[in-house]
Amino acid sequence: MLACVTSADLMTNALIAGLLLGGFYAAVTVGISVSFGILDIVNIAHPAFIIVGSYIAYIVNAQLGVDPVLVGIVALPAFYALGALTYQVYYVSFEKRGQEALRGLAFFFGILFIAEVVLILVFGVDYRYVSAAYIDRSYSLGFVQLPMRMVVPCVISLAMLGALQLFLGNTFLGRAIMAVAQDQGALRLMAADPIKIKRIAFALSIATCALAGACLIIIQPVEPSIGRDYIGRVFAICVLGGLGSLPGTLIGAMLLGIVESFTSTCAGPSWAPAVAFGLLLLTLAVRPAGLLGR
Amino acid sequence: MRNTIFFGVSIVAALLVFALARALNNDYLFFAGYTVVQFVVLATAWNILGGYCGYVNFGTAAFFALGAYSTVFFHKTYPLPIPVLLVIAATVSGLVGLGTGYLTLRLRGAFFSIATLAMAVVLQTFVVNWNYVGGSRGAYVIRPSDLEVFGVKLPYIQYLFLIMLVLAAVSIAIARAIERSKLGYGFATIRDDELAAEASGVPTLKLKLIATTLSGALMGMAGAPLPYYIGYLEPASAFGLPYAVNSIAMPMIGGTTIWFGPLIGSLLLGTLTQIATVTISSAVNLLLVGLLLVGFVIVAPSGLVGLLQQFLRAAAPTRVDARAVGLIMFASYGFIAGLLEVVFSLAIITTSPDSIGMAVAVVGLVLAALLLVSAYGLMTLQSRSPLLATFAFALSIAIGAVHIWLDPNSSVTYRGLGIAIAVAACGWFQLRNVRQLYQPRLTDRQAVA
Repeated sequence: MLACVTSADLMTNALIAGLLLGGFYAAVTVGISVSFGILDIVNIAHPAFIIVGSYIAYIVNAQLGVDPVLVGIVALPAFYALGALTYQVYYVSFEKRGQEALRGLAFFFGILFIAEVVLILVFGVDYRYVSAAYIDRSYSLGFVQLPMRMVVPCVISLAMLGALQLFLGNTFLGRAIMAVAQDQGALRLMAADPIKIKRIAFALSIATCALAGACLIIIQPVEPSIGRDYIGRVFAICVLGGLGSLPGTLIGAMLLGIVESFTSTCAGPSWAPAVAFGLLLLTLAVRPAGLLGR
Repeated sequence: MRNTIFFGVSIVAALLVFALARALNNDYLFFAGYTVVQFVVLATAWNILGGYCGYVNFGTAAFFALGAYSTVFFHKTYPLPIPVLLVIAATVSGLVGLGTGYLTLRLRGAFFSIATLAMAVVLQTFVVNWNYVGGSRGAYVIRPSDLEVFGVKLPYIQYLFLIMLVLAAVSIAIARAIERSKLGYGFATIRDDELAAEASGVPTLKLKLIATTLSGALMGMAGAPLPYYIGYLEPASAFGLPYAVNSIAMPMIGGTTIWFGPLIGSLLLGTLTQIATVTISSAVNLLLVGLLLVGFVIVAPSGLVGLLQQFLRAAAPTRVDARAVGLIMFASYGFIAGLLEVVFSLAIITTSPDSIGMAVAVVGLVLAALLLVSAYGLMTLQSRSPLLATFAFALSIAIGAVHIWLDPNSSVTYRGLGIAIAVAACGWFQLRNVRQLYQPRLTDRQAVA
C-alpha cells in the first residue's frame, strides 16, 4: 500500500490508465446521461444493450474478421431502431398510464434479465473477445505505458461525446431535446410533439450502446453477466457529474476511472467494483445535484 | 385482536402444510417446498416496500445473502441454533436496509433503486475479499443429520422446511397487519402521492425507513437457513440476480396492493420454476420468469389479484354468483395449463429435437398462447373470449388425445384429467347464461367509460 503511493512510476502509470479508462467509461455513460439525466427514464437495462453491442461486434469479428469499431458504427442505425421500439413500448405501457415509477423500473429490470439469460443460452458463460491488429500493440513514452486497446476506445468515446454535445447544443432537434427535459407542456404549446422528440432522444441513447459495446469488447473479454458491474458505475458517473450534463459526465467518468485505477494498483483489482458504489453514496449524501448539476 | 386470530390461522395453516408434507413422505417435496416457501417470504418482504410504498428494491439478493453469510460467520465462530441465527440475520439486514434507506430515500425514488442494485455488487465484493467466510471459493457448511423438536425426531431438511413455513406465516401476518393499520395507510399515501402526503403531515421519511428496515430484516431472515439447506455457499450464487428478479416478479404477477398477491404469485411462479428446472434447465426457467415479469407489467399491471377484482366488480357487482365462480375457476385453470404447456413444449424442444417432437412442441406453444390469451380475455370480460376459450379448450382436448396415443405409458392421468376439465369448460363457456354474463355488463362498462 505504502510502496504504491511512494513509487512515482507506478503513480503516473495508474493515473494515465485511469484517464484512459475514464474516457471509455464516458462512452458507456453518455447514453444514460441522455435517457436518465435529460429524459428522466431510469433505463437500468442500458448496460444490457451495451453487452448486446459487444456480442454483435464479437460475432461479426469472429465470422468475417471485420474491425469491431467498424461493426459498432454500422450497427448504430439498428440500435437506434431498437431504442425507438423500446421507448414506444415504454411510453404506451407505462408513461401514458403514469406508472413509470414502479412498473417502468420493473420493465427495464426484466429486459436486463432477459437479455442476460438469452445471451447465456445462446453463447454460454465463456468469455468472448475480438481480434484486431492494434489490440495487442502498446507504445511506451519513457516509463509510461500506452496500450492501444485502451487508447482506441478512449478516442472513440471522446469523439462520440463531442459529437453528441455539439448536436444537443447547436441543432434544432438537439435544443428541442433539451427543452423536453425542462417543460413538456410548453413544448406541446409550440406545436412540437414531445413524445416524438423523447423517442428520438431515447433511440440516440441506445444507439450509443453499439459503439460503447464495441469499445468494451476491445478493452476486455466479455461474458453475459458482466453488464451488472456497469450498472453501479454508469449511474455513479451520471450522478457524480450532474444529471443531464455531458461535460459533467466526462469529468465524472475520468474521476471514477482514476479512483478505480488507483484502487486496483494499490488494493488489488478485486476491490475495484466497490469504488463506484462508494462514490455514488458519497455523492448522494454530500452533493446530490452532482458536480455540474442543474 | 383480528390480527392475533389471523396470525393463529396462518400458523395453523403452516403446520397443516407441514403435516401434509410429512404424510406424503417424499424427500424431494421438502427440498422443492423449501425453495417455494422461501420465495413466499422474499416476495412478501419485497412487497412491504415495493407494493405498499411504491419503492423498487433491486437488492433482494444483497439482503438475502447478508442473512446467509451471517449464518456462515457464526457457523465458523460459534454454532448457534437456527432461531437465534434468524434474529441475528434480521438485525444485520435490517440495519443495512436502514442505512441505505437513510442515505438515499430523501432523494427521488429512482436513486434508492439504483443504490440497492449497486449495493449488491459492493457487498459481493466485500464477501469475495473476506477469506474468513470463504471468499470467492465459497464456504462449506455441514448440515447436522437429525434433530429433536418437541420430542419428535425430524430429519434436518424437514426441520428447515418447518422453520421456513413458520417464517412465511409470520411475514404474511405482518404484511396483513400493516395493510390494515395506520402504518399501512401512511405507506399507501406515499405510493399514491408522496408530495401531497408530506404536505398533509405524513412523516414520509420515517415511514419509508420503517418499511426498508422491516423488508430488509425479513429478507435477511429468509436467507439465514440457506447455508444449511444447500451445504455450500459461494458469493456468485448467493448474490445472484435470480433472487432479485423472482422477488420482483412474484408480487408483480400476483398483485402488489394486498397481502395475498405476493402469496399467489410466489406459489404459482415458485412451483412453475421448480417444474421448469426439473424438466428443462435452470437458464430456461429464468428466461420464463423474465418474460412473465415483462408480460405482466405491460398487459396486466395490477397482477392476477387486480384482474380478479376487476372481473368481480364488472361481472358480479352485488353478489358473486355461480357463473362468475365457474368462469374464474376455468380461466385460472386455463392460465396455469397454458404456462405448463409452455414449459413442457420447451422441454421437448431442448431434450428431443426430432421432427415429431418439434411438431408437438410447436403445436403445444400455439395452444399455450391460445389458452393464455383466452384466460386473459375471460378475466377482462372481452366479448369474444367465451368463443376463443371454447376453441382453445377444444384444441387442448385434441392435443391431449394425441399425447395419450403417442405415448400411452406416461402422464395418462394428467392428460385424462386435463381432457375431462376441458370438456366441462367447453360446455360451460357455451351455456347461454354464461355468455349472457358478458353482454349486459359490457354495455354497463361502456356507459361508464
